[in-house]
Amino acid sequence: MSLGILQTTGQQRGMILDPRTKLLLLITVSTFVLGGLGGEKFSSVIPALCLITLILLLTAGRIKAAVIYLAAYLAAWLAALLLLPQLSGPLYFLVLGSVGIFSRVMPGVAMGVYVVSTTTVSEFTAAMQRMHISEKIIIPFSVMFRFFPTVGEEFSAINAAMRMRGISFGGGRIGKMLEYRLVPLLTCSARIGEELSAAALTRGLGGNVKRTNICCIGFKMQDVIFIALCFTAFAAVALVYLGVL
Amino acid sequence: MIEFKNVSFKYANADSGSLQNISLRVRKGECVLLCGQSGCGKTTLTRLINGLIPHYYEGELSGEVVVGGLDVRDIELYDTARIVGSVFQNPRSQFFCVDTTGEIAFGCENLGLPPDEIEERVKLSSREMGAINLLGRSIFQLSGGEKQKIACASVSAMRPEVFVLDEPTSNLDINAIHDLKETIRLWKKEGKTIIIAEHRLYWLTELCDRVIYLRNGEIECDMPMREFCRITPEGLRKLSLRTRSLKELCYRKVSSQAGEYLTLQNYRYSYRGSMPPVLDIQEAVLPKKGVIAIIGNNGAGKSTLSKCLCGLQKRFGGHCRCGSAVYSRRQMLKKSYLVMQDVNHQLFCESVEEELRLGMDGADEKELVRVMDSLELTALKERHPMSLSGGQKQRVAIASALLAGKEFLVFDEPTSGLDFYHMERTAKLLFSLGREKTVLIITHDPELIVRCCDYVLHMEWGGVKEQYQLNEAGLLKLRYFFENGERKRISVE
Repeated sequence: MSLGILQTTGQQRGMILDPRTKLLLLITVSTFVLGGLGGEKFSSVIPALCLITLILLLTAGRIKAAVIYLAAYLAAWLAALLLLPQLSGPLYFLVLGSVGIFSRVMPGVAMGVYVVSTTTVSEFTAAMQRMHISEKIIIPFSVMFRFFPTVGEEFSAINAAMRMRGISFGGGRIGKMLEYRLVPLLTCSARIGEELSAAALTRGLGGNVKRTNICCIGFKMQDVIFIALCFTAFAAVALVYLGVL
Repeated sequence: MIEFKNVSFKYANADSGSLQNISLRVRKGECVLLCGQSGCGKTTLTRLINGLIPHYYEGELSGEVVVGGLDVRDIELYDTARIVGSVFQNPRSQFFCVDTTGEIAFGCENLGLPPDEIEERVKLSSREMGAINLLGRSIFQLSGGEKQKIACASVSAMRPEVFVLDEPTSNLDINAIHDLKETIRLWKKEGKTIIIAEHRLYWLTELCDRVIYLRNGEIECDMPMREFCRITPEGLRKLSLRTRSLKELCYRKVSSQAGEYLTLQNYRYSYRGSMPPVLDIQEAVLPKKGVIAIIGNNGAGKSTLSKCLCGLQKRFGGHCRCGSAVYSRRQMLKKSYLVMQDVNHQLFCESVEEELRLGMDGADEKELVRVMDSLELTALKERHPMSLSGGQKQRVAIASALLAGKEFLVFDEPTSGLDFYHMERTAKLLFSLGREKTVLIITHDPELIVRCCDYVLHMEWGGVKEQYQLNEAGLLKLRYFFENGERKRISVE
């Protein structure tokens, strides 16, 4: 994973969506594409959702992520279309399985990347507070937002160290490889986590006063459109189940 | 403002850093320097003031610590946070947010201040710290000095009465130290009480009014700065303290090792998405044997140079000529080793011995024993590398590089946060390594340079500004750099 992919920059975040809208989009993409909600009847919703994800990544300036996503998705789709009819036996099932998993998981992951990489910690906290979610849930989640990029940084440093020692895959040492990578990663992450919490506590986190927030979040035109889209999709499913449609 | 009455403290699971029978009184508006050897209890003392002890770090505490009229044991951490603001050593791990504006506002948000006032305070304190151009950036794109500015601004925005700084300069370059000095001067003018625990003393002599020297968890002396300045340089050595003034620096004379040279050719590199190259050296000639200091400000291209030299930077096309041999990036990856600032990243195994055997390249058992002996690791060979002290970990990393047959050793800030005794030991070790190998050291520590380096490479804006032998004339240049830094600064963007 490249280091920059999960880092939120303060500026140039493209079309600004409210964090709540982003969460709703994430849930919608996951339930329809990954969860396959609605079955066959809703198979046409899936490409639309995939396209939305792609557009959002592009507006956020994550060109590289968008290209990877598009290429991977198209490859899976083409494999299903062209390769599968040629195959038979175990290979058929292998390709069918991996194509299925890939095309279902990719859009969700891409949307996740979009949400994490375009939301700052304070925006996220503000959104959660507006939804009246308890601090006990908000704080661990916001720490997670902070922690992913840090782990990414640590990981690339460890990788460099391993290359200098000439340790690389091969020779059937995959187990060892994981161990060599995880041991320093865990110790460094644990230490950083400890220092991070100490720093946050000395800045008064967890006090008994109600936290305020300087982030201006709120629903705008684009939020309304996306929310309407999501709700339409869910409403359609509900209507189908009720037998109306 | 701060009062300690017969305070003793012992950590629940460690012996070092404990305090015995500390009694101390700091008046409002005083600026106090805490110094002493590594593990003498400086950090512990700061943690007692900001309430992390006993609320976060556990152990046995007796006596009474009163800050701003309140006993820190009785009040919760978030209440102490209103009175005491803390700046820590490691800029990587003291940020809660990922963007600078959010980070400066974070403390105020926790106090529950109204958003308008927070905006006002964020603007004011970032202006005071000279950090206004850093607002709205991702903290992952900032240099160490810039991060420390944001940390100061975010503490300052909470307007505490007491500031506690725990080794704030250990990752900073000379300009950043200068900026930090101005920040502290400003706090002092506002009548705040300031406590600084620090190894580097030369930037603090004009700033602090009072010096407290700790040894083994006890206050050994407590004196005004005037009196502290009268201690002779030899006296300071006995206390294992760093130098007070860069004027005292003198270099170690070495018979110049004439002979082979190392030529770096076409050392150019730019990161994806950033247009001007971070590193841009057409050709640089360096002595092959010896210890070379790489100096320059943050962002001058020092770490990029070291990564390129070690062959870690993909897409890097330069090469390294040594006599008739030419080494490409891949060959350099085999021949060189970078000892990172955070050595934890490069220790993988369960015991020191296993660690050293991993990647051993043709070296035989005798060689293993010899290297372990020379680096004082024989007694530790059964230990888990992560259980060792910082200096021991560093020696394990060096030993593993030697046994893997590496010829070029690069060190990134090997002495940040070390006291005099440990710094001098590291210097001796680096010097002896330099007799056989090429050793390059990226450092902001002038005391280390004069103790072990033969040669200085001064970088600026990705290129070589100057390079010189460390002799009488070289020392003057070096001293000039560390006293003045580079004032002409162009802010990016």
